[in-house]
Amino acid sequence: MARYLLKRFFLCMIAVMFSVFINFALVRLAPGDPISIMAGIEKPNPLMIEALTKKYGLDKPIIVQFGMYLQNVFRGDYGFSYRSNLPVTTLISERVGPTLLLSLTSLGLSILLGCWLGLRAARKKDTLFDRFFSNLAYVLDAMPNFWLGLMMMLLFASTLKLLPTAGMIDVRAGYTGFQNILDILKHMILPVSCTTFLMMPGYYRIMRASALQAMNEDYVTLFRAAGMPRKQVFRSYVLKNAVLPVVTMIGMSLAYSIMGVALIEIVFAWPGMGRLLLDSINKRDYAVLSGIYLILSISITAATVLLDAVYAWMDPRIRLS
Amino acid sequence: MALLEIKNLDVRYIMKERQVLACDDVSLSVEEGDSIGIVGESGSGKSTMAMCVLGLLPKDTTRTSGEILFQGEDLVKLTEQGFAKLRWKSLSAVFQKSMNSLSPVHKVCKQMFDIYRVHTPGADENACKAMAGALLDKVNLPQSVLNLYPHQLSGGMIQRISIALCLMFDPALIILDEATTALDVVTESQILRELTKLREASGITCMMITHNMAVVAGSCDKVAVMYAGRLVETGMTARVLTEPRHPYTQGLLASFPTFEGKKQALKGIPGSLPDLSGEIPGCVFAYRCPHAAERCFNEKPVMTEHEPGWKSACWLGPR
Ligand SMILES: Nc1ncnc2c1ncn2[C@@H]1O[C@H](COP(=O)(O)OP(=O)(O)OP(=O)(O)O)[C@@H](O)[C@H]1O
Ligand SMILES: [Mg+2]
Repeated sequence: MARYLLKRFFLCMIAVMFSVFINFALVRLAPGDPISIMAGIEKPNPLMIEALTKKYGLDKPIIVQFGMYLQNVFRGDYGFSYRSNLPVTTLISERVGPTLLLSLTSLGLSILLGCWLGLRAARKKDTLFDRFFSNLAYVLDAMPNFWLGLMMMLLFASTLKLLPTAGMIDVRAGYTGFQNILDILKHMILPVSCTTFLMMPGYYRIMRASALQAMNEDYVTLFRAAGMPRKQVFRSYVLKNAVLPVVTMIGMSLAYSIMGVALIEIVFAWPGMGRLLLDSINKRDYAVLSGIYLILSISITAATVLLDAVYAWMDPRIRLS
Repeated sequence: MALLEIKNLDVRYIMKERQVLACDDVSLSVEEGDSIGIVGESGSGKSTMAMCVLGLLPKDTTRTSGEILFQGEDLVKLTEQGFAKLRWKSLSAVFQKSMNSLSPVHKVCKQMFDIYRVHTPGADENACKAMAGALLDKVNLPQSVLNLYPHQLSGGMIQRISIALCLMFDPALIILDEATTALDVVTESQILRELTKLREASGITCMMITHNMAVVAGSCDKVAVMYAGRLVETGMTARVLTEPRHPYTQGLLASFPTFEGKKQALKGIPGSLPDLSGEIPGCVFAYRCPHAAERCFNEKPVMTEHEPGWKSACWLGPR
């Protein structure tokens, strides 16, 4: 297994290096002056030009430039946003928390709910329960996320006035401590449920399909013939076999789970990276965009390796090969 | 009384647009201590009959009628709870494709112990190990396989484990559905020899489903030939294999090479199985039979006994 993981790790390192390189090359190959791209304005002042030239070694050969760029990246320096007058890391770290809160909560909920419903549907194949949720999954799939968000907002916030419309906290109330947590939770309900509704069908479907497949495997026939109760066969054997494809799917959809909430964040004015991304695109704040891109690609790659390890640990066919 | 008595068994697979009659009026009796081989080409309903005896056909997509008397109980009418009492203690099996008969993500020992504990609740680790050790000895496997996962074993080892598993409680009847098909000839004959020894030692009755006439000749004292869901001939192996009565049995035997005598071309049987979703009024084999007369297409032949225990279903007498 060590070899397998090492191999995965190296592949991921290559992927990271590749994305760092693309990020590096884009600015320098793009038409126009890299300095004005990095500064985000047409005519940067001489001081800015000098600072940028020095920092990135823009007057040196391209190889040296790449070396310096790498050095900066690994030191955690992702550049400076001249638009906001703040280091990119500061900008991103302020926003990363809310985004992770929203996306990981939704991801966790959709995995739990999707798998639970999927397993039940598989056990009750072709019953009303199964048909209802399988059709619901298709309906939810066909729904654009911003539209669902707007509709939910319209219904629960604007019309019924049960929940707050937007944001993460009620700024005017100025809650602290437990009250603050409660306030955040209240603000989370709509964006989290909206995201969960949209991510859940995938997990529902894959869990249902893989449970159905596992239930048809030959070892299930053997255990049934040997007199093992259906429930025990399901819990002890079907489950463990059926859950493997779900782990793979989590790994594959991780990137989407984190950045897929961007539109939801925008709809609900959630102070996360999605908003930052949109603002930076509007302002042509290149430094922030490339920072987001780098941090995302590095952390998603890391998470993928982690999930690969989990998968390998769960599947002896990989662990012991 | 016979240990297993199948009477007029019909099994239908119900699908959305059609039905398949996979067992058509099958009657067969298996005496205690018998070793009976079930042969017939692919799709003739051998596994269906076995699964029906084991009570493992899906209830919602199959219809069964007839009787299967096993130790005096009718398995066709038996409830799930009734079956639970028979399973593995009186009735066990090795399934077709037994290579996949173990869960790939669990160790062999866990799977063996779990099955043992179903019938021996609260058995401790030592009891389980003793049981597993004795079983593995029977099929010539080392203890070390217990701590391995199925992918670390060869196909032959997994088939041995499947055979060991079905011997766990010395059942009255074991059904082996092509238990040795995927093996090389050396391993196959070795396992068959071991099996014959075990059978003779413990008096287990054995139903062996196979495509291989050599297996029947070597390890079965009786044979039943199936074609398109119907039983066409049954009798003592020694008689049926030397003087087959039914044209299908004759064709089947002509399709197998022999080592004795002069070299001759294998004949095979031209044509293929009829469509089992329609009614066949006459003999199911008539369409491929070299001797078919008009009667064969219109009237269903009945099983007639030529010698005690030797029956075949053909309108034409012996040739
Ligand atoms: N689950 C099923 N649904 C519908 N039809 C089936 C099903 N299983 C088997 N059949 C049909 O029943 C008939 C008999 O199949 P069965 O598996 O019993 O044959 P078999 O004699 O065991 O063949 P083989 O030697 O290939 O194992 C075939 O025509 C097959 O198409
Ligand atoms: Mg079969």
